[in-house]
Amino acid sequence: MRFILVTLFLLISFLGFGQTVSAPDPKSFLQSTNGQDASGFVLNGFGATETLLASISLVNPPTGTTFYLDRLDGLTPASGFTLPGNKTRLVVTGTMANINIALANLKINTGAIKGNVQISVAATVNPVGFFYNGVNGHFYRPLTATADRTTYTNARSRSLATTFKGQQGYLVTITSTSEEEFIRVNVPATNVWFAATDEVIDGRWVIDAGPEKGTVMKTSNGQTAGNIQGVYNNWCPGEPNGSNGSENYAVAKWNGAACWNDLSNNWNNPYVIEYGTWTNPDDATFTEFYTNSVIHSNGDVLRAQFNFEFGQNINETQFTTRLLAQSNNQYLPTTNVTRTLNGLGRVDMTSDLDTVKVSSGNIRATTTTGQVEWCVIYEYEASNQRYRIGIDSREVNGIVSNPSTINNLQLFDLWNGPVTFNSYDSNGWTEVYVYTSTPFNFSGSSFASFIRAGNGFYGLRAEFGFSSTQNYKQHGVELNTTNVATLYNNIVTVSDVFLAFKEVSNRGLLGNENGLEFGSGVQFMNADVDGNGIFNEADTYQLIQHLTGSEIIGNGSNNLSDYMKILPKSEYDAITKLNWNTKPNSTTNTYFPINLSTTSLLNTFTYDVFWKGDVNMSHSALQANNARIDTKTSSEINAYIISEVINNKVIVTITLDPLQEAVAGTQFQLNYDNNKLKFETVEFKTKGNPTNYGNNRGNFINIGSLITSGNGMLDNTTEYKIIFTPLNNTTDILGLTSISETDAVNSNGVQLNIKIK
Amino acid sequence: MKKLIFLFILILTSCVTEVIEPTPPPTSQKIFDVKESKVTNGQSIHFDLPLDGVYTLTLIDKESGQVVSRERFNGKKGENIKKIYTNSIQSQYLYMLLEDVARKEIGKTTIITK
Repeated sequence: MRFILVTLFLLISFLGFGQTVSAPDPKSFLQSTNGQDASGFVLNGFGATETLLASISLVNPPTGTTFYLDRLDGLTPASGFTLPGNKTRLVVTGTMANINIALANLKINTGAIKGNVQISVAATVNPVGFFYNGVNGHFYRPLTATADRTTYTNARSRSLATTFKGQQGYLVTITSTSEEEFIRVNVPATNVWFAATDEVIDGRWVIDAGPEKGTVMKTSNGQTAGNIQGVYNNWCPGEPNGSNGSENYAVAKWNGAACWNDLSNNWNNPYVIEYGTWTNPDDATFTEFYTNSVIHSNGDVLRAQFNFEFGQNINETQFTTRLLAQSNNQYLPTTNVTRTLNGLGRVDMTSDLDTVKVSSGNIRATTTTGQVEWCVIYEYEASNQRYRIGIDSREVNGIVSNPSTINNLQLFDLWNGPVTFNSYDSNGWTEVYVYTSTPFNFSGSSFASFIRAGNGFYGLRAEFGFSSTQNYKQHGVELNTTNVATLYNNIVTVSDVFLAFKEVSNRGLLGNENGLEFGSGVQFMNADVDGNGIFNEADTYQLIQHLTGSEIIGNGSNNLSDYMKILPKSEYDAITKLNWNTKPNSTTNTYFPINLSTTSLLNTFTYDVFWKGDVNMSHSALQANNARIDTKTSSEINAYIISEVINNKVIVTITLDPLQEAVAGTQFQLNYDNNKLKFETVEFKTKGNPTNYGNNRGNFINIGSLITSGNGMLDNTTEYKIIFTPLNNTTDILGLTSISETDAVNSNGVQLNIKIK
Repeated sequence: MKKLIFLFILILTSCVTEVIEPTPPPTSQKIFDVKESKVTNGQSIHFDLPLDGVYTLTLIDKESGQVVSRERFNGKKGENIKKIYTNSIQSQYLYMLLEDVARKEIGKTTIITK
């Protein structure tokens, strides 16, 4: 037993469970003040004797904002850093205990410029030979030894063949001044290859690796000629010059200078491999790498942070968002800036807020002490938890044109907040209600000498002033993405359609909508593709038309507004199978109005996104009360594909091996090169009386079968022959067609994985 | 006179612009002899076969393990040259597998399509 416990302990120790970086709550710093406390980050769960790499960085801080560590016990600066002094980034090594002491003594210096102060802390067991950039959260591995130096093309391919902490490497890209500086400081060599080339068209320089691969940097040779605005270029004077017609590859730190040159591929140079494809350190997906951040602010900054919850199969970073504000009864963009969601669907839009206040149309009443009892407070109504308050209308007449707009009241130190208008009598009282669960503290008031207790009321010797209240404009938010038609093609698939058929057939024509198959009201909303608040045969008809290509939902439009629905999280979570048809069910890529708080500086908004036709919820946000809808299993069915040339036709054959699954629907996306092939037809060999479909979508064929009768199933006789005519004589066809997306569903409505063997 | 004509011809031929032929590409490497290759659309690939017969070339997505494309063809003993097309392929990193009719593996390599 003791042996087992010891083994278990060692195993847990080895696996290193529970490493985390915890972050403090957001706060506001004073402007132009040094040495403010920014503690609260703590590393947990690392081995006590392990040497850790920790990065502390300010992400795009306001000018003048820096940090320093007031305790540096046992820390060693990483290459290119020094420990003391004010910084925007610092990478250190040390034990967890030493780093935690430093983090507990993290201090912020602020300048006069307001703005977000995002502090990001990351930690991992220190990797030898790698450098971490706290700004973008990437690792860099310089290869500078003589044996490692090589040509550009070798450096490019060798980089791709490496992995580090679960990320594939690529030849380093330099896309910003800060990244250039990072390379300059951390790579002890000159003439360092980085991923930029004009090997395809002379003078047309493109980024050659990583997430920005293919981005055009400049369109002609010369230090600044043809530089693309917004894309980082840093060429040395007279470079690039394409000398010898072969200088097609870029080096940084040219002869030790902080600028670039173009060289031929026969140079053997040092290079750097970069790991990480994200721009925000919070999005890092390195294995055994732990990060967290907090967004404080410098000064009282009104902030707006948005969180969009998508489904589990959606990549949030493919979406951008834009802030709107109401103007002349319409919502218009506040700026031309679009912001990309991070990997968690989050985006900070503080900089895009329209903070100009406008009249709310309402009136705030405020009191000062006086000689006359112009105000009366009637006894507390415990049953309604409210006070009825009268203001002598002689205080109001001629000053407030519409007394019913009084919606806020400051009443000595008894109350300061919203009120509800009750009545107005120009010869009597203007009355409002104050709703509060806590009765006023008359006896404890500093104004007690101005308050007289009457019989069933209090009289107040108070004068009233009135002012119109100012509110922030109502805002809205808009989501966008590119190539939504392709995205949508993967959202509505055969398993969605089958599930809709199964639900509608079980329900019966006169049945209720309790949902024999559907687990949530959101499924009904998604299945109600015509958006009329009724899920019925008309919807399933549209779904199968979409599947078979007869009439595609959204007509292939590239407007996100034709496919997506969005609701605040609280409203989304409240959707049930009983109330879903009371909600608007039209598609939209915007949400408004959004009301900014007038009492809190931090505005956070969470919205849930769901999709027309996503019946099985594979791409829609999950409701909080319905943590998971298990419509997918890990069960696999096998399929086989082969293509060959027969009688001058290219024939692609897909066959199915359903194993033990009762397969009721299949779907395959067969891509083809429409410059080389002309689609002719699909020949089906199936049993079970399914609806077979094989529709041409221009550069892919959507093929499959769906049993809609509730009886029968597909089996290993299922075969699809997709026939093409080559547009020119060809006997080589490898890659002219390829399978990408697949889907399948069994007779219980459970989604299956297709393994193509 | 003959000397003059000879000299004249010699001068003429000496002054002819030299036509620089493009350097012929190096002998193409057998694709299964290297661990990894970057391929472009329509590129020729070279490989050897042990016997005449029916073979398959299969492309497998490295990440998902899914077969994305497979061609069955008649090969001949010795060197074979075939073209590979990449425009329809969405994956960037793939295994390319050469098998005989009994699905015995003859060669395997990695290709990068983009």
